[in-house]
Amino acid sequence: MVDSQAIKRVDKYVYEIDSSFREDMRVPARLYTDAELLEHALGDASVDQLVNTATLPGVVKYVLAMPDIHQGYGFPIGGVVATQLPDGIISPGGVGYDINCGVRLLGTHLSEEEVKPYLDDLATAIYKNCPSGVGKGGEIKLKTGELDRVLEEGSRWAKARGFATDEDLERTEAGGCLEGADAATVSAKAKERGHDQVGTLGAGNHFIELDVVRDIYDEEAAQRYGLFVGQIAVQIHCGSRGLGHQVCTDYVQRFQQTVQRYGIRLPDRELVCAPLNSADGQAYLAAMKAAANYAFANRQVLAHHVRHAFVEALSGKVRNPHVFQIYDVGHNMAKIEQHEVDGKRITVCVHRKGATRAFGPHHPDVPSAYRDVGQPVLVPGSMGTASWVLRGTEEAMRQTFGSTCHGAGRAMSRTQAKKKVWGGELREQLEGQGIRVRAGSMSGLAEEAPSAYKDVDRVVEVMHGSGIATKVARLVPIAIIKG
Amino acid sequence: MIGFEEVEHTADVALRVRGRDLSDLLVNAALGLTTLLADQTDSPGQATQERQVEVEAFDPESLLVSWLSELIFWAEKDGFVCNKVEVYDVSPTRLKAVCVGGFVSELRHHIKAVTYHNLKIIQTDQGLETIVVFDV
Repeated sequence: MVDSQAIKRVDKYVYEIDSSFREDMRVPARLYTDAELLEHALGDASVDQLVNTATLPGVVKYVLAMPDIHQGYGFPIGGVVATQLPDGIISPGGVGYDINCGVRLLGTHLSEEEVKPYLDDLATAIYKNCPSGVGKGGEIKLKTGELDRVLEEGSRWAKARGFATDEDLERTEAGGCLEGADAATVSAKAKERGHDQVGTLGAGNHFIELDVVRDIYDEEAAQRYGLFVGQIAVQIHCGSRGLGHQVCTDYVQRFQQTVQRYGIRLPDRELVCAPLNSADGQAYLAAMKAAANYAFANRQVLAHHVRHAFVEALSGKVRNPHVFQIYDVGHNMAKIEQHEVDGKRITVCVHRKGATRAFGPHHPDVPSAYRDVGQPVLVPGSMGTASWVLRGTEEAMRQTFGSTCHGAGRAMSRTQAKKKVWGGELREQLEGQGIRVRAGSMSGLAEEAPSAYKDVDRVVEVMHGSGIATKVARLVPIAIIKG
Repeated sequence: MIGFEEVEHTADVALRVRGRDLSDLLVNAALGLTTLLADQTDSPGQATQERQVEVEAFDPESLLVSWLSELIFWAEKDGFVCNKVEVYDVSPTRLKAVCVGGFVSELRHHIKAVTYHNLKIIQTDQGLETIVVFDV
């Protein structure tokens, strides 16, 4: 077990575990955190899990933990691990089961006052238009072969079907389509799980939230992103559904033997991996991209449903029910990127598991409309608490492979949360705060109780204070829609 | 001896499973998974169906993961959960069994996957024991 003795503070918000801490570590581990959050992290196995990732072949510079780090399986949630091409590894567990789980933020031209009288209708319209619940299918019926298009084209498929605009695609990470996705690398079982779930929210910690922009911290960036105080905005948090879960399951299973073939020794079998220049590594990369594209398409279709709900509930009642895209970014992904390490520009595979890409200004992968201020970073809080819009910085490029936190981070197990909080009571409490709740399951609601999470404001403060991703706007919820 | 029990894990759900032998361990793991998938007040036995299953792997742990992954796949696909398992043939790398179960309209937990996290089947005085972590 890692204890505080092994951790050295190297900057206000940066702590380090030297690579001499364990014989099998190839690089040091760095944690972006503060004293209180660090103590939290040391309370479970997350820091040990971080150290385990430092043993992976091809890992460069540091393995990194964001302040929202918590215990996962294999890799910790809130971890960033970069491996060098050509022979560094790619690990399905370093991406997670919910491939390209992410957040989409939509903006409106509406103020809180305009929407307030119709808030109940609007929340209900979104709940009805966006299918949710465990394993639930949606309205979109894919024709034979069409799922392969979703997998290889992502949001471009959605645009061809009339669910997206050019602007939506421009304002999505990678334009909503990762090149090199190959539907043939996705199993029949994964496709069966995914065929009727495009445009569905699912259950667990996924949600759609109506928010009000409460505070602006960076006028220039806020204006560029289209945010203003009092504005109604919408967050969509979900991923690649059963399809992505199956892709990860399939490759974690397949790679159990791959690691033996390559003589890779691991402290935990969930860390299984394959060299990026092997056939196995390339197959997973192509399958992961396909699942990521599915997730982009999924959030795109949900955004389309949200737009429909706004028109349905507000048409003729407000001046302009139009809903526009601000940004869409994943937080469970492995991406091939160029980064500078020890003064040299190298190609790496950046695993972000529960971590968000946060590219700084002038990076070609930032949408042209935002390029001079940097990429928007979307950090949802726990249910009923604030969410944040940050912007990526040069500092992130230098220190964290262009990565930052992804949310509040769980502090309590789901079982614990349910013992402490009763769903119905929580609903009353949220409604008491003026937050509308539309939820399929009360026990599902209890599992996501705000008290089960760390304080998102504190997590964001660490990223802001270390200059990795700086504050643009703080959003507070007024309606929560979940399965 | 209880065949399975839920244990605490920060982000996910975990089961401690015990069995006299591998066959018993695999059966108890399946029944444990059913308690996570279906509410006990639901009676998944009502519309009974038998499903044959054959999984192959390369060691007992991977066999356990393959087996439970199959059951998770069924639950998501059509709400099928099993409450009785008859093992026909078992080896450290192969399982052939029939699952008897029924359909639930709502799943209790959305179980995304069964993980290999610290997965190890260990020998105890009473037989075999393991902890399986599920991603939910």
